Amino acid sequence: MTEIRATEIMVAAGARELKDSEIVVVGIGLPQVACFLAKGTHAPGLTPLLEIGVANMRPLHTPVGLAYSRIFYRATCWSGFLDVMGMNLHRGVVDTGFLGALEVDRFGNINTTLSREEGSVRYFNGSAGGNDVASLAKRVIVIMRHEKRKLPNAVAHLTSPGFVGGKTRQELSLRGGGPHRIITDKCVIGFDSASRSAALLSLHEGASLEDVLANTGFPLLLPDKPSLTPLPTAQELRLLREEIDPKGVYLG
Amino acid sequence: MAQKITGAADVVRTIPDGSHIALGGFAIARNVIAVVHELIRQNKRNLTVSQGVAGLDTDLLVGADLVGRLIIGGGSLDRFGPVHCINRARETGSLAFEDWTSLSICFRYLAGALGLSFIPIKSLLASEILERLERGGAKRELSPMQCPFTGEAYLAMTALTPDVSFVHVQSADAEGNCRIDGPRWENEEQAKAARRLIVIAEEIVPTEAIQKEPGRTIIPAHRVEAVIHQPFGAHPTAVFGRYDYDAAHLKLYVDHSKRPERIGEYIQNYILSTRNHDAYLEKVGGLRHLEGLKADPVLGY
Repeated sequence: MTEIRATEIMVAAGARELKDSEIVVVGIGLPQVACFLAKGTHAPGLTPLLEIGVANMRPLHTPVGLAYSRIFYRATCWSGFLDVMGMNLHRGVVDTGFLGALEVDRFGNINTTLSREEGSVRYFNGSAGGNDVASLAKRVIVIMRHEKRKLPNAVAHLTSPGFVGGKTRQELSLRGGGPHRIITDKCVIGFDSASRSAALLSLHEGASLEDVLANTGFPLLLPDKPSLTPLPTAQELRLLREEIDPKGVYLG
Repeated sequence: MAQKITGAADVVRTIPDGSHIALGGFAIARNVIAVVHELIRQNKRNLTVSQGVAGLDTDLLVGADLVGRLIIGGGSLDRFGPVHCINRARETGSLAFEDWTSLSICFRYLAGALGLSFIPIKSLLASEILERLERGGAKRELSPMQCPFTGEAYLAMTALTPDVSFVHVQSADAEGNCRIDGPRWENEEQAKAARRLIVIAEEIVPTEAIQKEPGRTIIPAHRVEAVIHQPFGAHPTAVFGRYDYDAAHLKLYVDHSKRPERIGEYIQNYILSTRNHDAYLEKVGGLRHLEGLKADPVLGY
């Protein structure tokens, strides 16, 4: 077997956050990969939902979009926003919201709307269901590549709230439990229960603490000794490489 | 019941400039392209467009400079990248822009469909989306509120009641009973919130077929004003179970849309210089090309 890639450690760490029998609203890309990995290993009873109105899909071909026929395959229910985001998310029964992001900051606030570069603003996709997921799921996991500009002290646009200003979700009048993890291709980050600020939990093999700190735009709370993120198992690697993303669309 | 089949050009002629239209596409799936092209051919101006997640349909209308106000939850061309014309219009401030979320747009349509003047939601709170809406043109569409019974904090939003909703469906009968296969995003709420509802159907099926499986009817005939029968009417976007998106054509579109000086060229070549959607389909490759996009009956794409 070839060398384990950092992206594979990342999605395996993401998958392990998901428990069997959970209900998970998944965003496009890496969240889908992590979710299918969990479902193919320790969490066969997990129910993935797509905001557009798809439940429990089992795609054959790596999907690269949301309104994308490949990801509708072998679903057990087709509905719409009102069902998935209204009568599941808003109803409060979704255990995990699993999202990607342009930027995430130290309080787990997410930006998917715009970037500011040298004074000029460039717009991207906006919220779509992202704000709804972050506002309403019992907990939120963000998975993304680790780059300094993607992990700023404060997001350039607060599209989806985490612990805004370090406040509790109750103080913010938000129903969901807020950010739980930021999982990158260098480390796993959690949130300190007192300050609600980002705290390093584990480093991936090959990533040093100095490397993580140099590539993180916000002050990261540090444990006495960060642990090592568990490596993907042979079974997880086989699933990722042969079934879930054989062409390396997300993991390459 | 009346036979409602008509043509896109005839329907679009009845839509005044300045109308609020709601489009039923999502990113690159089931976009109402046949109608959007006709709106561009007839130069319908100063439109208000609402949509959950905007795709090629709304990007084209903005690129043709026909939109005065945009009310959307997000926008994307999925793997083909961002909605360049919409994002550029936002950057230059050339249109009134209201940035919501998928669920808040859906709830606002639901309120419209239920005949409610407002609806509460727990999304948007504590976000910059809300701050911008309050600062901008949507100030009168929003109000913080408390539940009169529990005191819980909500955001109250006004109902969305479009003048006309357009939805692209896989099949309908001549009276307008519609089936939608695959996920339906906010189509049902969007359709039933509108004052007028026009559907575009890939295929017209006999009413007897509808009567055999009425549980599959997502939009019933009595709410539908007109049915436009247009095979490949969503091209180059995908219609689940019928055809895949046209990757080559979407790439060609993005090559034009990402540069402001080239979008006009696309509109001229593929829309203004084609008489109708059938002529457009000939122009993009005709029968042989479209055959190649047809969905595998098992996979649905």
